[in-house]
Amino acid sequence: MTIKTKKGEIKLPCLNVQIVDINMVQANNYNPNAVASNNMALLEESILSNGFCFAVVTVWDPESEKYIIVDGFHRYLIFKEYLQAEELPIIVLEHDITQRMAATVQFNRARGVHQVELMGDLVQALVEQGVPDEEIAEKLGMETEEVFRLKQITGIAELFKNQLYSKSWVMQEVDENA
Amino acid sequence: MLKQAYINKNVLESAKDRIAYIFDEFENIIVSISGGKDSTVLAYLALSEAHRRGRRIGIFFLDEEVVYDSTIKQIEYIMNLYPENAIPLWLQIEFNLTNATSFSDAYLRCWEAGKHKIWMRSKVSYGIQHRPWDTGKETIRNKDIGLDFYAVLDNFQNSRENTAFLIGLRATESPNRWRAVSKNPGYKDVYWCTKLKHGNLNMYPLYDWNFHDIWKYIYDEKLKYSKIYDYMYKKGMGLQEIRVSSLIHEKSFKALVELPEFEPKTYDRLLKRVKGISIGNLYGKDRTMLKVQKLPKNYNTWMEYRDFLLATYPDEEKKQIFIKRFNRHLNNAYVARQQCRQLVLNDYENNLPVDNKPDPREEAIKKWRELL
Repeated sequence: MTIKTKKGEIKLPCLNVQIVDINMVQANNYNPNAVASNNMALLEESILSNGFCFAVVTVWDPESEKYIIVDGFHRYLIFKEYLQAEELPIIVLEHDITQRMAATVQFNRARGVHQVELMGDLVQALVEQGVPDEEIAEKLGMETEEVFRLKQITGIAELFKNQLYSKSWVMQEVDENA
Repeated sequence: MLKQAYINKNVLESAKDRIAYIFDEFENIIVSISGGKDSTVLAYLALSEAHRRGRRIGIFFLDEEVVYDSTIKQIEYIMNLYPENAIPLWLQIEFNLTNATSFSDAYLRCWEAGKHKIWMRSKVSYGIQHRPWDTGKETIRNKDIGLDFYAVLDNFQNSRENTAFLIGLRATESPNRWRAVSKNPGYKDVYWCTKLKHGNLNMYPLYDWNFHDIWKYIYDEKLKYSKIYDYMYKKGMGLQEIRVSSLIHEKSFKALVELPEFEPKTYDRLLKRVKGISIGNLYGKDRTMLKVQKLPKNYNTWMEYRDFLLATYPDEEKKQIFIKRFNRHLNNAYVARQQCRQLVLNDYENNLPVDNKPDPREEAIKKWRELL
């Protein structure tokens, strides 16, 4: 099955998900992507609350007789190590090594960032829905400090309102022998 | 000897006194603004005094084109605080800015004629669009570089006479610069100023202010300030490291890492405007690539890395600048690392000068060897 677009027919590998033995799946040896531990915890939280929404993308390697991961190594790791699952949903692409390497980088890099201002609005909205800071921190993978900073809509000048002005000083010629 | 002596006033009272003194002594006053917090406070204090006295002062902004939108909003805000007392001097002319992020576009000619379609934004209606000085008398620091930021400042100041240029320099923020400018009185018995040509002066009425004084004043007077400060705070970044000026030169390209999170539209326009932006975005804080703090794993020494960078440097003319400069340097790892940084960041202007001295690490090892 495909979908027609102005740049031609687009294949839909997302419809061909298979469940395989997790031991049949193996990491590739070139992926430069690193996920920090706090975001691994967020990924685990995401899988627990949303389920496993995106199959791991792989190619079949006839030599090792394993599925080699193109994208989704960290999802695989959560399932295997953190949650000790025995099976994994995967998609199998027919890519040679060059295409595989390119695909890995495309998957990793073609993504957005969160605008700080809108992230602040989002946190503010959660606060107004009555969600406690600790829960926001846990659900969004933040430290409570980050939640605190994001929900401060008053801005940084506010932080200094109770300060006193410093004492003034002048440059003065001092006679060292005096 | 020159020493700091505390007096029985706070910094705000003193700054008001100093500004009143400047108004008493000088007919012509121009405040330089950057869009940052310090110059915002300074401009507000000076404009308030002008308002009280029914006088007009110049508000000078040298527009580098490639800056945060928030900076421009802030400049517009300051220009309109007391419009009847402000003479806007918003300079939007062509000059060269170093681009630390690209070898092929080593510099950007801001506001370049014919490129108006990809300018970061259109010029303001009341901006100064042509060099407001006698181009026959124009000076530059270095003919390889041509008209750069500092040359524009020099020429602008030299086109005026008997003028007090007010600058938001603070001693705690830039101790080295403060020491350099406060050695001697620049005018009568005033230490907080520097003498320039044609009876002009740079004056620093906020020199004794601390970081928190600036923010308290902004809070107390309910002044607006650049949103970038709030963004950085929300990201948990050090407030001290914020610069509001050009986004692409060798001291500020790190800002490109967060730019898409702060101002996605500015980032998109910048991508179209000049090469190298995504390099700055991806590697701006990378210790190996752009910060040049860590030797790439395929090299054994900083000298080896420098020689490779030099041999493969894409611009033959600029390469000669580097070769000439490096010939005067010592050949050790300490110096070579700094040379690598200049090469990687395209610093042919020598804005990040090399500290040319024996390698402190080798010196320490030598000392221990002698002792043992």
